[in-house]
Amino acid sequence: MNKTLLILKKELRELFRDKKSLSMMLIIPIFIPLIIIGMSALFQSQTEADVTTYNKIGFNYELTPTEIEILDTLEIDYSIASTEELEENFNNKELNSYIIKENNNYIINYDEANIESSGAASMAQSYLEGYKSILEANYLAENNINVEEFNNLLTYEQKSVEQQNFYSNYIVNYAFLFILMAITVSATYPATDATAGEKERGTLETLLTFPIKSKDIIVGKLLSVTLSSIITGILSLILAIIAIVYSQNTFDIYAGANLLNSSIIVCSIVIIIAFSIMISGLCIAIASMSKTFKEAQSALTPLTFIAFFPGMIVFMLNITNNWLLSIIPFINFSVIFTDIANGNLNIFYLILMFVSTLIIIIAVIYYIVKQYKSEKVLFNN
Amino acid sequence: MITIKNVTKNFAKINKKKEKEEFTAVDNLSFDVNEGEILGILGPNGAGKTTLLRMIAGIMQPNKGTITIDDLNYEKNETDIKKMLAYLSGNTKIYGTISPYELLKMCAEIYDVPASEIDSRIKEISKILNMDSFLHNRIEKLSTGQTQRVNIARCMIHKPKYYILDEATSGLDIITSQIILNFIKDEKSKGKTILYSTHYMEEAENICDMIIMINKGRIIATGTPEKIKKETKTNNLRDAFFALVGESHE
Repeated sequence: MNKTLLILKKELRELFRDKKSLSMMLIIPIFIPLIIIGMSALFQSQTEADVTTYNKIGFNYELTPTEIEILDTLEIDYSIASTEELEENFNNKELNSYIIKENNNYIINYDEANIESSGAASMAQSYLEGYKSILEANYLAENNINVEEFNNLLTYEQKSVEQQNFYSNYIVNYAFLFILMAITVSATYPATDATAGEKERGTLETLLTFPIKSKDIIVGKLLSVTLSSIITGILSLILAIIAIVYSQNTFDIYAGANLLNSSIIVCSIVIIIAFSIMISGLCIAIASMSKTFKEAQSALTPLTFIAFFPGMIVFMLNITNNWLLSIIPFINFSVIFTDIANGNLNIFYLILMFVSTLIIIIAVIYYIVKQYKSEKVLFNN
Repeated sequence: MITIKNVTKNFAKINKKKEKEEFTAVDNLSFDVNEGEILGILGPNGAGKTTLLRMIAGIMQPNKGTITIDDLNYEKNETDIKKMLAYLSGNTKIYGTISPYELLKMCAEIYDVPASEIDSRIKEISKILNMDSFLHNRIEKLSTGQTQRVNIARCMIHKPKYYILDEATSGLDIITSQIILNFIKDEKSKGKTILYSTHYMEEAENICDMIIMINKGRIIATGTPEKIKKETKTNNLRDAFFALVGESHE
């Protein structure tokens, strides 16, 4: 049997019999659906803010029956008082906003920094717009002008051209970043165990007395770590899909979103495989040069952040993809996924990302194989 | 035949003043190991025995000199040489999460033992080393003695031409030590060549055909046990060693 495959078989046997490795591989993905459902519930609660928390508006003038009808329609909880009393009530948080009338000029008073007060100001504006329309219609009718004809001199409407729902897009992008993070965390333990751990346990010395080339040892270990990372990634993806299906059926914020088409799922799998190869190669490279298990773990900790933050920055700054970004490690995975989630699948960029990942990892592994002379690896401390 | 020619190994160490300084673990050693003999490498701790055997096993490289095994060298024929060797030290660790059977099968595959022979070889070795009762248990659950028997078994699986045994009985109980000594005698009877390092002089006197005594990286005596005793006018190798060390100190 090929020596690389023998090492792979040995590593997988050890991996699947080690409780810590197994728990890293299988437990971390469980957090992905929790994050998706948690974020969905949070956004849903924000969009469903109770109107009674921001509908208390005060007036310093008597309201006509027409105005009261408008206020009732808008569900505004109104009160009438003097200007001084309104100010005092507003400062005491008993009112969210208040309107002062001076002749025909209405002043909406509110606190811009307060979300409830801003909401109340919007309601006050709606009330004034509605009342103004009625006054305008009455004025036109009194002057024998056709109101409908006048209103149709110019018409407009608003239509959202966004292809994705904002909230669902946000959640899906973050969920994907967490999948990448889960892959990173799950790759570090087996990579450390297979290299620095094996050195610390003393079995590496035995392995290096066998007639196996450094290349076979390193590639075999890389393949086993990559395989475990892919298992974590695919498991995370499956759980994410289940969580999104559940959330779509539960939360209104997903209305109109098209998240689970085949191209998104297939491209996600391609990115997960490329990312797993990249992160496993780096983990093996760093851990194999470490003297102890602890040193390897310390050296690998920054990788978790490196895997997560470039992607988050790309997503937060809404950076659009180009060929250069497609070949920059870690940025490319997120920027391509964001593109795909937005419905902009570019196969060329996807291929660029995959090929550049393979080239980088082949270069890293070539360097490690050259460094992996038995004495240097075993006795460098 | 194993030929060691002018082999030197230096290590860097940090002294008390935190300065880097070099010390020589193996100093210009030359000797041959003939086929079918047991060569004992004797010396106190720190004499350079382990470094020497690690270089012969190919897990360390000499700074100077050459090591050839059946006219092959490590620069060009590393895997070919390693196929002829089996290396076992008192410190050799094996994989805990697998069973002796799985380990032996893996080693057999690594050493290119034909697939049709693997099971029969494992059965044979298991019988010789009395391993049947724990052949399918996890190695991490075995006692020290059982683990060392598994270690011997993995050395035997590919029927190597040369055994390199570095303090293989060190720290073992008397029964397990005896198993290893019997194994060495059996393999010698099959014509195998064995390099055997130890600091137990009596043990070496009993089983070795040839002895090399080293101290501070240098050979201080070489020959058959009888020759060394005769030259040092002593009755055993322990006394011979002290006589030689005294001489070398002078």
